[in-house]
Amino acid sequence: MTDIDKLLQQQNIPPADPAAKQAAMRAALAEFQQEHEATQNKKQNNRSSGQGFWQRLRLIKDATLRSMIMTSFTKRTLFAGFAAASVTVLGFFIALPMLLSVSPPSIDNQIKISEINMSSAPSTTVYQPMAEDIMVEEVVITGYAKPEMQASLPAHRTASKLSLPASHGDVMHMNASPIMTDVAVQPAPQNRDKFSEQQENPVKRTADEPVSTFSIDVDTASYSFVRSQLNNGILPPKNAVRVEEMLNYFDYNYPVPQNQEQPFLPSVAITDSPWAEGKKLLHIGIKGYDVSAQQKPKTNLVFLLDVSGSMNSPNKLPLVKQSMDMLLGSLKPDDTVAIVVYAGAAGTVLEPTAVKDKQKILTAMRNLEAGGSTAGAEGIKQAYQLAEANFDQDAVNRIILATDGDFNVGINDTEQLKGYIERKREQGIFLSVLGFGRGNYNDELMQTLAQNGNGVAAYIDTLSEAQKVLVQEANAALFPIAKDVKIQLELNPAKVAEYRLIGYETRLLNREDFNNDKVDAGDIGAGHSVTALYELTLTGSDAALIDASRYTSNTLEETNNSSEYGFLKLRYKLPKESESKLLQRAITTADSQVDDRLQNDVAFATAVAGFAQHLKGSVYLKNFSYDDIIAMAQASKGDDLYGYRTEFIQLVRKAKIAKEL
Amino acid sequence: MDPDNLSQLIQRAQAGEADAFSELLEAHYELIYRFAFRWCAKREAAEDITQQCCIKLAGAIKQFQHRSKFSTWLYRLVINTAHDWQRHEGRHHQTDTSCDQPVAATAQDESAIYLQQVLKQLDVMGEGLRETALLVLAEGFNHREAAEILGVKESTISWRLHHMRKQLASTDGAHTS
Repeated sequence: MTDIDKLLQQQNIPPADPAAKQAAMRAALAEFQQEHEATQNKKQNNRSSGQGFWQRLRLIKDATLRSMIMTSFTKRTLFAGFAAASVTVLGFFIALPMLLSVSPPSIDNQIKISEINMSSAPSTTVYQPMAEDIMVEEVVITGYAKPEMQASLPAHRTASKLSLPASHGDVMHMNASPIMTDVAVQPAPQNRDKFSEQQENPVKRTADEPVSTFSIDVDTASYSFVRSQLNNGILPPKNAVRVEEMLNYFDYNYPVPQNQEQPFLPSVAITDSPWAEGKKLLHIGIKGYDVSAQQKPKTNLVFLLDVSGSMNSPNKLPLVKQSMDMLLGSLKPDDTVAIVVYAGAAGTVLEPTAVKDKQKILTAMRNLEAGGSTAGAEGIKQAYQLAEANFDQDAVNRIILATDGDFNVGINDTEQLKGYIERKREQGIFLSVLGFGRGNYNDELMQTLAQNGNGVAAYIDTLSEAQKVLVQEANAALFPIAKDVKIQLELNPAKVAEYRLIGYETRLLNREDFNNDKVDAGDIGAGHSVTALYELTLTGSDAALIDASRYTSNTLEETNNSSEYGFLKLRYKLPKESESKLLQRAITTADSQVDDRLQNDVAFATAVAGFAQHLKGSVYLKNFSYDDIIAMAQASKGDDLYGYRTEFIQLVRKAKIAKEL
Repeated sequence: MDPDNLSQLIQRAQAGEADAFSELLEAHYELIYRFAFRWCAKREAAEDITQQCCIKLAGAIKQFQHRSKFSTWLYRLVINTAHDWQRHEGRHHQTDTSCDQPVAATAQDESAIYLQQVLKQLDVMGEGLRETALLVLAEGFNHREAAEILGVKESTISWRLHHMRKQLASTDGAHTS
């Protein structure tokens, strides 16, 4: 290997990419300006020293973008398959070091697989054919090999196989062999995000199943995640899109009740469905009562911060610190804050400290550093212990968990953890989850934890999102005004032939759960608004999808409620009570007259629901393009004080040009 | 750029003039990128390192004291950035071999892989060997200049190169035998 001189001198360096250069220069200039401003006003508050926040934030974005584009996949489940493949490839590299003169096996002639574009294998290369060779193995592994192909495979290649579930098989329908080889040796850790698989709610026939029951959901994590994906120029994985979370990201001006006794009012509107001719949209909106500053109860918070190695990315721990900093700003001086961190071991960094000692809290926070593996369960226990020690019956006792969801040590049993959180919830300690980062994000676990802890799961991708969740909506996140809020809608088969609940797939409840106070449901915080949409097909409409049953009688008895589309029932518990209360109202033809004040909100929510369904690839969306969504949102964005709705419109534009992952 | 102009430009950037800093970056982007590429032989990674370095430069420019050549100082910054990057990659992407074993798509890439394997070997052999090799053998610095960039004695550079050649020769022998 003494030819290292020659190798180094002859190294071929591709020219710098102008776009990358531009991005780098822009980032550097931003940092430069920030740096300069920081020195200009030499204030104590030097949040951005040396290696400022920009540096980290910018970098991760680009790095992620690149690897995302490079890997270009639709479903994260594929990665399991590829990770396995990559191991094999590495194995080959190790096993055959420097066999530079191996002649490529002529796979092209032996195997004809339409899904894999093999024809591009140039015979000048050595390693690539090998990599493809291995990709062929992968075809076999996943069980999607075509019969004729399997037959023609040389025996030695089928000899040793890994066993993988067949569901990974759709990998092979991708027509991208050059990318595949890239991916095979590039496991791209950014894509370990986990989302649970979910099916869109189907259309139901009112005569068969007139009652629909679900729990409300005020989480917004899905929207933030979708946004961060689109901002990187790629479409989010379908399972990452939850219609209800996108809907509920936005604030709607539904009528608010006057006092805390009845914490919210349901408002109802019926409009024509913009994406399916002949169908109607039933729009149910709830807005929670907002507490005024004096009414705010005392708050005891325990921050449970993940400082494991995986949190070391720029968009994780540094962002966590800044977010917590912001949250402090929205607390009252007497409120207390404690910090527990967990990594290899869990530890209390800060005993409960009153917010007026802000400097002490900030110092503790800034000294945090990421490193080690994750002992999430241990950390959670310690946080609960602190919260219990500091428990105040009249205060809001809440743990705020900030993590990327990486509980990889000591917590294999999610159920056990769920149970634990549930029991603590009964004692009055709630848990909220803030998700950070991407690449390792475990969405399902976050959702589960927050749902069991009567808390909110929010995904924080930028500082402005932190601002929204922790400052503007601090009341909602911190002060529950009602818990276990369930909605039950009974439709009138005489008026409504079919219906479909849009979104809330993960929140469906059984009919009998509605009146069962033991069944947990979503919580609503001060000032939260919740929106649910049903798509209705009226009786006698041509738009019905399900044929009438041949054997059951179709004649419906006229009832005296014939002008009603349906009947809406809401159950909720006040935060400190265990018995639920009931709210109910009829939904009548009169609701087709949408109140002027509601019109914008209803239209905007419809646009959001349309967009979410579009991203999910809904089968029920007909002739509703991104342009229609943009037009609809544009017309209905209203005042938009914080610019969230404008941002939404931008996102739709981005989705138009985004690549399928 | 002649030294006087450069020096003025740096001073203006140090005083906080964004235009000057931008011009300075523009003039040195290629240098940073080339070295970063040599370091990891992967375009995306090189661009990452370059960007990281540019951002670092924004904060660090004030610390340049005009005692050495700017490029000498800049090389040191790039090397530090590359080290940081490598450490980060190593810690979090245990399975990620993006830097070490890129896929060969062309014959050129093939030698790039080979080169990376050699450089990787240097890392194992001893600290500082990679940058020493890159500076002297690839960038063509003499031992004194390389020593200045790396902040070590000239004799250290000479010893490192000697050590490296000896080790490489012996592993080479082991392979062929």
